Amino acid sequence: MEKLSFKEIDNTVAATLDPPGRFYWTVIGLLFCGILVGAFCWAWQIMVGIGAGGQNSPVNWGTYLINFVFWVGIAHSGTLISAILYLLRAEWRNPIARAAETMTVFAVCTAGLFPFIHLGRVWMVYYMLPIPNDRTLWPNFQSPLMFDVVAIGTYLIVSVLFWYTGMLPDLAAIRDRASGTRKKVFSVLSLGWTGRFEQWRHYSRGYLLFAALATPLVISVHSVVSWDFALGVIPGWHTTIFAPYFVAGAIHSGLAMVLTLMIPMRRIFGAQRIITMHVLESVAKTIVFTGLIVGFAYGTEYFIAWYSRNSVEMEVFTFRSAGDFTLSYWIMVVCNSMVPLLFFFRRIRTSIVWLFGISILVNIGMWFERFVIIISSVAHDFLPNAWGQYAPTAIEYGIMLGSFSLFFFLFFLFVKHLPAISMTEMKELQHQGMTHE
Amino acid sequence: MNSENTRITALFEDDSLAAEAIRAIKNAGWRISDVHGPIPSHEISGALGIKKSGVGWFTLCGGVIGFFLGYFLAVFTAARWGLMVSGKPVLSYIPFFIVGFEFTILFAVLGNVLGLILLIRLPAYRDLPHIAPACSADRFGVVVDFGDSDKDEARRFLTNLGAEVPESSDRETES
Repeated sequence: MEKLSFKEIDNTVAATLDPPGRFYWTVIGLLFCGILVGAFCWAWQIMVGIGAGGQNSPVNWGTYLINFVFWVGIAHSGTLISAILYLLRAEWRNPIARAAETMTVFAVCTAGLFPFIHLGRVWMVYYMLPIPNDRTLWPNFQSPLMFDVVAIGTYLIVSVLFWYTGMLPDLAAIRDRASGTRKKVFSVLSLGWTGRFEQWRHYSRGYLLFAALATPLVISVHSVVSWDFALGVIPGWHTTIFAPYFVAGAIHSGLAMVLTLMIPMRRIFGAQRIITMHVLESVAKTIVFTGLIVGFAYGTEYFIAWYSRNSVEMEVFTFRSAGDFTLSYWIMVVCNSMVPLLFFFRRIRTSIVWLFGISILVNIGMWFERFVIIISSVAHDFLPNAWGQYAPTAIEYGIMLGSFSLFFFLFFLFVKHLPAISMTEMKELQHQGMTHE
Repeated sequence: MNSENTRITALFEDDSLAAEAIRAIKNAGWRISDVHGPIPSHEISGALGIKKSGVGWFTLCGGVIGFFLGYFLAVFTAARWGLMVSGKPVLSYIPFFIVGFEFTILFAVLGNVLGLILLIRLPAYRDLPHIAPACSADRFGVVVDFGDSDKDEARRFLTNLGAEVPESSDRETES
């Protein structure tokens, strides 16, 4: 890795906080319009009822659940990068750890909206909290949906705390460079951090413990999300492979989103010396790994359906690849498990255009994976007379647009107002490089 | 009786230099009041004789409390339903471990944060006017109490150790 002085790191990161130009505000404005479209659609649905969406028997879980699982999945690579790779001492994670953690926080927030949207009568949301409702009934923790409430709630709180704790020294560094109102704001945000060694002593230990706790959490969260399906007696869902399959898929999609966000970010902020090609290449190699796991899971599902000789199970999997959702299925297979294999070629994984293009394709493929899993099984389960169809309505597309807009809106606001690259971790990386020489 | 106390912040470019200086200052009989830096450093921690943090105990306590709280919550709410389905027991002890596990992580993290807040003593805005801004950027700052020693002599001593000693780094406190 190229040698950078501490001052160069600070200058590069501080430059990202310079007042933005007209282009930035135009993008922010467009994204805000997207959020308004989503909010309008949701308000419309609340007014006329949940039937405004296309979910109906037998497909009662449509795009709301697809997007929920998609965004929870996106959140996963942030914790992979910030916690798991931290414990594994993978040095390439340092330049992108902050942005990935931020992605986690905003993706969980976006995901968390969908159960509210899907409820229809959103004011009844307190039924999910561990308090007795107006009929003195408590929520039942035998349901995987209640496991989900606990898991996602925990994940959101832990991600926010981990993210903010990691940012404290950087907020102090910005504070010490700033003047006027910005200095006052960053003084409050940095909680009076001074970098005393007494502070570092507890901080380093606490951060390590954070990483150690976030690691099993991230694996448990998507396992719990997978049990929303796997605990249901539905062909194509009721399998033990779901937890590892979902976790690998989540990391796969999250890493793709990291590339989608990092590639424009490094160019816009001129951070090529920090987010180097080596970093992007390492993400691409990890995508090959997760892509192979996901491909293996697709194959295993088919093998087990055939090997079990269960006619309903075999029918569902035949329907997936050759029925009404054939196109969705093959988009999923090609984008998630075949296209990433191109990263085996060095020329492709070191080309910005290929990296960006493939990351977009994996994102699309992973959205369709959730579509195929959630829709095809219930649309085509045990009894032919109960089979049905599903297509999203304009209201659902509007809400989906709103969710994507919200995620990018929050992320774009963040990168211009708070340090999007961890100055402290970059300095530690450079320092280790110097002392190891 | 009050006496004047000279306190000087010496800035070092490198943590090994700062660690050597800390040892030299201690050997000379002066007191290190504080050390600041942009990143943690094992060398400086070693020179200061800093021990391992006890924040893990907060984390452990949080985790243990969390597990029992989560598991108890699941048992309690199921018992409140008291609804037997398909002849199965009302209390599903094994799946309740999932709730217990999530609460373990949640409360361990909350314990960790509480431990950090208490041990680091945040928020600590009162310290802000007294730190050298360079210490959050690219310098390691060693704050030394020279007692009633000659200020110029103290500055010379630090400069010889390889420190930058800015004019504004002098502070006089009363002890």
